[in-house]
Amino acid sequence: MSENRLLLRLRRRRVPILFVLPAVLTLLAITVFPLLYELRLAFMSWELTTSEPARFVALRNFGAILFQDSRFWSSLRVTLTLLLFGVAAELVLGTGLALLLNRLRRPRTLLVSLFLIPVMIAPVVAGFQFRMIYHDQFGPLNYLIELATGGRWRGFAWIADPKIALFAIMLTDIWQWTPFLMLIILAGLQSISLELYEAAEVDGATAGQTFRRVTLPLLLPVIIIGILIRAMDSFKLFDIIYLVTGGGPGNITETISFYTYLQGFKFFSLGYTAAMAFLQLIVITVIAQFFVNFQKRQAGRA
Amino acid sequence: MKMYRGAVLWLILALVLATAAVAQPPPLSVIKWDYPPRFKNVTITVVGDAGHNLKPYEFWKGDFEKVGITIQIIEVPFEGVYEKEKTEFVAGTGAFDVVTFYPAYIGDFAGNGYLEPLDNYMKKAPASTWDPNAADVLGPFWELYCKFAGKVYALPIDGDVLMLQYRKDLIENPQEKAAFKAKYGRELKAPETWQDWLDIGQFFTRKKGAKLAGQVLERDFYGSAEFAKRGFSFAWFLNRWAPFGDPYFDKDMKPQINSANAVKALQNMLDSLKNSPPDVLGYGYDELRDAFIKSSVAMVVQWTDVPKKGDDPSQSAIAGKIGVGRVPGWLIGGKVVHRSMMPVGRVVAVAADCRNKEAAYWVAKHISYDRSLEDVSTALTGLDPYRKTHFQNPQAYKMFPTEARAQDYLKGVEAAMADGYPEIFIPGAAQYEDSLDLHVNKALAGQENPKQALDAVAKEWEAITDKLGRAKQIELWRKALQAYSSLGLIK
Repeated sequence: MSENRLLLRLRRRRVPILFVLPAVLTLLAITVFPLLYELRLAFMSWELTTSEPARFVALRNFGAILFQDSRFWSSLRVTLTLLLFGVAAELVLGTGLALLLNRLRRPRTLLVSLFLIPVMIAPVVAGFQFRMIYHDQFGPLNYLIELATGGRWRGFAWIADPKIALFAIMLTDIWQWTPFLMLIILAGLQSISLELYEAAEVDGATAGQTFRRVTLPLLLPVIIIGILIRAMDSFKLFDIIYLVTGGGPGNITETISFYTYLQGFKFFSLGYTAAMAFLQLIVITVIAQFFVNFQKRQAGRA
Repeated sequence: MKMYRGAVLWLILALVLATAAVAQPPPLSVIKWDYPPRFKNVTITVVGDAGHNLKPYEFWKGDFEKVGITIQIIEVPFEGVYEKEKTEFVAGTGAFDVVTFYPAYIGDFAGNGYLEPLDNYMKKAPASTWDPNAADVLGPFWELYCKFAGKVYALPIDGDVLMLQYRKDLIENPQEKAAFKAKYGRELKAPETWQDWLDIGQFFTRKKGAKLAGQVLERDFYGSAEFAKRGFSFAWFLNRWAPFGDPYFDKDMKPQINSANAVKALQNMLDSLKNSPPDVLGYGYDELRDAFIKSSVAMVVQWTDVPKKGDDPSQSAIAGKIGVGRVPGWLIGGKVVHRSMMPVGRVVAVAADCRNKEAAYWVAKHISYDRSLEDVSTALTGLDPYRKTHFQNPQAYKMFPTEARAQDYLKGVEAAMADGYPEIFIPGAAQYEDSLDLHVNKALAGQENPKQALDAVAKEWEAITDKLGRAKQIELWRKALQAYSSLGLIK
């Protein structure tokens, strides 16, 4: 009887099911299956440099990464440094630029398009450009520094000096992605009703008070989404590292994605790489959850 | 007006074609070879590291077309060759027919069945078409680079070894000689030991405005430079460690890399950075070559193709001023022992899943033998000599002003080869070398001191051996040791 009812219900919903089915199958094929396959791999030892077959090692890969692999922790530290300082700088600069552009009228579209050029450039091209720009002897940056100081100072060995190589990478990332945050914050600013500003003005609010009490609270959801996207991107920072520093000097600029790439595509330790990828997924999920909860709390307060 | 516009267009077209036409070395008739019977218009896909070392396939495009072969070239970044080829092999895509790779990976590629054994193709008649003349190839390059488990899997195309290259004009300058003698109490000559390297490096390191060989410097000048970027910095450390005679591991795979001698070698490399350009930690092959041939440093240890470029005035500011010699060594037991690393090298092989194996083999053989003298004797490639024929024909090296200078260069290469020290030729080479490279680099960057760095390498090497299977690795390492020893690469 219940089987008949189920069949009847399915028959009635045949058309909606058929509409949804391709999307579900695609999702299963390109997201769920690879994820499950990778999870399975994370519990195996599979070294492609030898001809040995894959074997089940339970949690050994995770244990080795968390308790024995100092390189995993140092590359995670580099990634988090880039995330914290890089994304913070992008946020401050992006917000500043968006506020300025929001005041403009006619040239705004043109300026936004110009500002967006770095975002449109492939990271691999940006990496190559900055490798040239940072060149100690022939790069334009040091040339300009030398020119500006009347030849008294010839600049830095940007990507070779252990003290500033990470900063140089951060600068490249900031150059490329600040316009992205600027764009979404600008969109947020433009969605704020002018009536709210007028009401604040009538109430005698200063510019600072208006920004703190009106603009910022209403922008917060957009800012959180922007930070979240950039935080996730930071975990994928690879092209620029590969091209500009190769992770060096030492391992000062070796990010977690670069180290994962080495494990996967240079050492061909597939199980270990899968376990590393899963641990990163956990870290990203925790960070994402933190921001989502924060956003919910803010929405609740509003 | 229309006629004028037409003429301009033709002129532009002619200029474009002239620019697009590949500059190529003149064909030589030293090596005698014959074309094979025509193939049925096959396309052979060749993969290799991007840039000048794939040019031979463009130089000799006409040869391939003549026998019905179209060459399709896939360029991969220098650092990405292994991963690209390995990934395609593992996935079984059959994307490549002829693969160019660094011979340190032959154990991995041949051992996993990705490559076609070539012995039968080499024996085909007539020999003038199919025989790659193995007897002409220098021992280490044939035995170590091309063979695995007794079979031939690859043919050599590049005989890499590092050699000393220095500014002969500066070392022989009377003013500089006198100043050096006054400061160090001995004659100024090309460095023989690594201590000499430091002293001469320090002596020639000068600021903008100071005088060098009587000329006022317009920019800072440095005594020496190193390959100090991640990737191959380990090889520049090994040049300093290998003379002490310890192999990478003992016969039971216990790492020897953290001995007192190794610490001394790494400390020397670290000390030499004081005499190097400030961005030396970012120096790979290109930067190191340019620093030397654009006249920013007095001496380098580099691959043997650099003097060919250095004597070409279109590429170099120091043409005619380069001296070459043995990589410095250490005074051990009353005599100086020299070792020079043989990093990289290139071989070509036929992929096991290639559909036109005979055609692919002929392409590989044509580059490895028939046209090899042209390819190694030009400044248009970075390929270095690896056959006796290459050393017996100095007249082919036209970038040198005289045959005698070409002969000097070839003698320098031969001497460097006699001091050759091999990479780690067992599966896992990429991991062992990456670990060494990382910690050498950390020491150079000041993140670890030499002892800490090398202790960390030893610890990581043990972990890699355990991960890959200790018993199997010991077995393979013992075979490698035997090969190194029989070829005279380790003493």
